[in-house]
Amino acid sequence: MTCAECIDSLGPYLDGELLREEAAVIAEHLETCADCAAAHRRLVATSSQLKNGLTRYQAPDVLKARIRAALAQPEVESKVQYAQVTRFNWRRTITAAAVVAVVSSAVTLSVVGRKPLGETVQSELLSSHIRSLMPDHLTDVASNDQHNVKPWFNGRVDISPTVPRLDSLGFPLIGGRIDYIDGRSVPVIVYTRRQHVINVYSWPATTKNAAPHTASSHGYNFIQILRDGEELWIVSDLNRNELEQFARLFVGTR
Amino acid sequence: MAEQGTTRFEQVVLPHLDDAYTLACYLLRDKHDAQDAVQESVLRALRYFDGFRGEDARAWLLTIVRNYCYTWKKGSRVDRSTVAFADTGEVEDSHAADDLVMQASESERVKAAVDALPAELREVIVLRELSEMSYREISEVVGVPIGTVMSRLSRARNRLAAALDVDSRKAG
Repeated sequence: MTCAECIDSLGPYLDGELLREEAAVIAEHLETCADCAAAHRRLVATSSQLKNGLTRYQAPDVLKARIRAALAQPEVESKVQYAQVTRFNWRRTITAAAVVAVVSSAVTLSVVGRKPLGETVQSELLSSHIRSLMPDHLTDVASNDQHNVKPWFNGRVDISPTVPRLDSLGFPLIGGRIDYIDGRSVPVIVYTRRQHVINVYSWPATTKNAAPHTASSHGYNFIQILRDGEELWIVSDLNRNELEQFARLFVGTR
Repeated sequence: MAEQGTTRFEQVVLPHLDDAYTLACYLLRDKHDAQDAVQESVLRALRYFDGFRGEDARAWLLTIVRNYCYTWKKGSRVDRSTVAFADTGEVEDSHAADDLVMQASESERVKAAVDALPAELREVIVLRELSEMSYREISEVVGVPIGTVMSRLSRARNRLAAALDVDSRKAG
């Protein structure tokens, strides 16, 4: 064996890719050749430095939550295509949809009157929640610091949303975004609980204070809270008990 | 898709999310982009699942992730990246980069050196050193012959040894 052949085989030797006989020849050469032995030590040191120094990232819970939610959707296939088609201009699509919705609801209103508001809003919120789990749409501002999230909404929506910090209580903040619900831009604050995403929507209330209202639809839970001139909707696939716990904490820390 | 099909998909594919996310993080060098890439890739994998013959699910998923990451960077998202992705040329080893590497902690030093590699070398390092894949598996993910995997790995390690100033006398 020449030194050139040995050097070429050091990588496969280190990686256990050589046959036993081939490896034995290398091992023998390394015992007698100081230069090749030094090259081998250098390679071993580099490899272990990489193994020790590089991070093997763990898929974050929120990613698992998004994947789980996406897989749980019926007809995932069409949703996949939907997501791809709309990736580039969600904004425009949603705005257009909102315009259509406003126009068509105005038309409907004049003919047959309007559907109960809560029902319409709830189905829009469900669509928004599911949409938020699609790639690239969960947060416009990604931050676990409420001092980054809250100011981001300034000038973007007409109310300043409450952004309590609930990390220590088991509901880490992951960011915020703006969505279009019932024909207007609304702030959405996003939290997680284990592998579940929690979206909190808020807008100025049109009715006075009332007891919290809970509902569920398609495996998602909704909590509506009217309070101090503000209407809050909390949406998640988290179980109802924990979502109610979240709602109490969210409201309690205002 | 039948529920049973989705369940089998979850059992086969989801255990490899960490490997998928790690590869995406190193290829895209942005954690949010990496999350989106992995989610899209998993949904894509579900669509192609009928074509999966049940050999090596990890290599199969990582192939999809890798292809997705490359397409992503070629597409409309390029502008978000501060560092060129398809930098197949020499390592950008300016003095400034050296200084940065010196200041950082050991782990940051290693990461910076790997990040400075061109993508084709970076990915073989991640697949070999972190995911501990065999040359055959890496060859499947990257789509090149085993001999090419071997030579890329060798080039990558040589560059890293030089960048990290590995001293063979200290090695054990």
